[in-house]
Amino acid sequence: MRDKARKRSVALPVLSSTLRMLMRNPVSWLIIGLIALFTAKYPESFLSVTNLESILKVFVVTSMLSVGPTLVVLMGSIDLSYIGIWMFGGALVWLLFPYLGMASIFIYPVFGLAVGFSNGIVHVKTKIPSFILTLAVTAILAFSTTVIAYVIYGVLTLAVPEYRFLTGSLIPHLPNTLLLALPVLALSLFFMNFMKLGTYLCAIGSNEEGAELAGINVKKYKVLGFAVSGFLTGLGSIALYSYLGARAPVTLDLNDLVRGLAAIVLGGTPLVGGVGGPHRTLFGALAYTLIYIGLFLTGINPNHFKLYIGLTLLGAVWIVSRGLKGVLIS
Amino acid sequence: MSSSDSPTLEVRNVSKTFDGVVRALDGVSMMVRENEIVSVVGENGAGKSTLMKILVGIHPPDVGEFYYEGVSVPFPRNPREALKRGVSIVYQEKGVIPHLKVYQFLFLGLEEKFTRLGRLQLERILGVAKEVLDELGVKCDITSYMYELPLSMQKMVEIVRAILAIRLEHGGAGADGVTPIIILDEPTAPLSLEERDELFSHLLELKKTSSFIFVSHIIPEVMEFSERIYVLRDGKLVAYHDLLREKVTEEELFREIVGRESHSYLWSKYVYGKPEELKERSIILSVKNLSKKGYYQDISFHLHKEECIGLFGPAGSGKSEIAKTIYGIIAPDSGTIVTNTKKAGSKDEPHHRLRMGVGYFSGETGKELFLYWPIRKNISLVNMEKVAKKPIKIVSIINFKAERSLAEKVMKKLRIRAPSVETECYSLSGGNKQKVSVGKWLERSPDILMLEDPTIGIDVGSREDIYEVLLEMKKSGISMILVSDDPKEYAILCDRIIFIKDGKLQKVYINEEFRKVMQL
Repeated sequence: MRDKARKRSVALPVLSSTLRMLMRNPVSWLIIGLIALFTAKYPESFLSVTNLESILKVFVVTSMLSVGPTLVVLMGSIDLSYIGIWMFGGALVWLLFPYLGMASIFIYPVFGLAVGFSNGIVHVKTKIPSFILTLAVTAILAFSTTVIAYVIYGVLTLAVPEYRFLTGSLIPHLPNTLLLALPVLALSLFFMNFMKLGTYLCAIGSNEEGAELAGINVKKYKVLGFAVSGFLTGLGSIALYSYLGARAPVTLDLNDLVRGLAAIVLGGTPLVGGVGGPHRTLFGALAYTLIYIGLFLTGINPNHFKLYIGLTLLGAVWIVSRGLKGVLIS
Repeated sequence: MSSSDSPTLEVRNVSKTFDGVVRALDGVSMMVRENEIVSVVGENGAGKSTLMKILVGIHPPDVGEFYYEGVSVPFPRNPREALKRGVSIVYQEKGVIPHLKVYQFLFLGLEEKFTRLGRLQLERILGVAKEVLDELGVKCDITSYMYELPLSMQKMVEIVRAILAIRLEHGGAGADGVTPIIILDEPTAPLSLEERDELFSHLLELKKTSSFIFVSHIIPEVMEFSERIYVLRDGKLVAYHDLLREKVTEEELFREIVGRESHSYLWSKYVYGKPEELKERSIILSVKNLSKKGYYQDISFHLHKEECIGLFGPAGSGKSEIAKTIYGIIAPDSGTIVTNTKKAGSKDEPHHRLRMGVGYFSGETGKELFLYWPIRKNISLVNMEKVAKKPIKIVSIINFKAERSLAEKVMKKLRIRAPSVETECYSLSGGNKQKVSVGKWLERSPDILMLEDPTIGIDVGSREDIYEVLLEMKKSGISMILVSDDPKEYAILCDRIIFIKDGKLQKVYINEEFRKVMQL
């Protein structure tokens, strides 16, 4: 009997530890609380099929913007380049479509990998704080996109209509966006939990000196962390591309930048690194989505919407980080 | 009896227990007179720091009495109250704020009496800072930044700040009225020899107006500069010497500090290499003319298979820097390091050396362990080759089953007491934490293992367990290099002991000779 239980936990240590973590992680209670609150308040609209679909969509977008950077946050650095990759990658797809045809969408992961890799190299070589570095990269890429669209080509969007087929639902009620996102989610969980990369990134975030003394090539794995983050963001951007109807945004929206970080922190990967991972970020993304959709249902003035998002996030992060203290030190 | 003979500060029968189990202090009494330097010596974990923290109000004692100028008063409840009783502390490290100017640092937290309507009276601060530094004979530019000063001068500024804090609490910045008692927590640890001498000449000067409690484990310093010595061991006061009335030798003091039950059975159980016999073994590592300016010069030696070499010497002799150089943490200026297979590159980092077969084990669990990780992950961290499969070259996938059974094997072998391999390391006892750290290297089984303070801060029983593991590892073919503060550790682990002083190699002892010299 005991043997059997043990065997199972050997086979699924990730699942069991994730479950154990969730029981203790305050974000689970936040999610349950939010669902209960909105179901009670808006019983018809909250649980309607349309609403559940939009929850799914917002969740996918948020998670695609946050799973990659989670790996970087885990090692105690910050990666904000995801918006830059998403936007400029979209511009690249648009620019390259005449030459590469339908294959041009694959420029996304390649571009993400390149940006992530160069972030890593520059960060390790110059020791520029990753926060500033990647924020600058996002600013440069985002504004370059704007310039390409508005100034150079004089267009309002960089849509590629040939990719419209990506939007819509192949399976009823399941947006294609989700299908495109699933491999990215699986890949991030695999990197984190099944490869030595995940262990090493965790080690660097938790105790960089100790990691170095254990003979880990810290510089190499830092570069790798950024590269994988960029790659996952690039791959995830394909899902985002389908979500927006075969295009990427051409103007920078601060809200997009916020939601990535918010999902990471809400999920329980502290910005100092060392603990957490993409599995937690998924729950963080779900919590963010519920807050977002819930506020939407309240019907508040759209002009005030972002303000309320900010305030709610502040409260949520405070609750989660207080709860996490107990988890970490207990 | 003159009035200066009566104690300024006295504590009696101080006891302190942490978490209701760990007995940190057990009935300790001590006193400080005016204008003297009193030393409190003991090993790590002997209770020195706890006693000092009680004196400055960071920990409350369980029981005890506190007398200030002969009057019984309650123990201070915070550092501010300690200042009222004339006591302040200068910590070993992290006390200095590098990007403040000297006068800003001197008055940090003491600005209260130097503000008017919230505005800092800079002229007055500058004036008083200059006055106090001049009076105490500390010569430095008060407008330079702290980081610009040499380390010994930074320490001095810290000491002046502590004195100033006490004086201000007692009325004014002037010298009259109060004799500050300054606790110096291992002040010489980061200093070079010259800087150390400079610091002490300053202290002897300052003694005219202040008293010092000098916390240290460096015996020669203690003997040279203090009037009286309190020896703590395992939370108890085990010896007291008044150096003005009696003579103590360094060896006696050392025995009192370390004085645990002998590990002698361990060195009777193992055979240590003799020179003629060592010559026949293959050479695993040769270090040639290794130099690093300011730390060590021209160090050369061979390490044989199954041999343990100890780098022995006083703190600051350069021994730990040599060990760190061999593991690639510090880059040498010149010289070569060659293992049996490969020559080390001059810009190598630890991961290069690990691939060359060099491991590094430090007793400081903060450097070795990831406390919030389960035992399993901590052990597999340096054993990825054993637990991960590589379907293609750049992808290594962890096999959890292998990871688990590896950790279980180590736990069984080292008798690590923990509920399971999933237990997070912070919940383990000190000895068990150390065993996890050493266990991962046991499994890795490098050709050469660097040991830096392998048993720092753990109790006697666990120490012996660790020694046995290390000796078994040696027997199984691993060569080692030890750096430690405890001569007994060298006697137990090492075949040869290299004595290093002021960064130079002085003499090589074999185990037996070493024990004779050290009277072990």
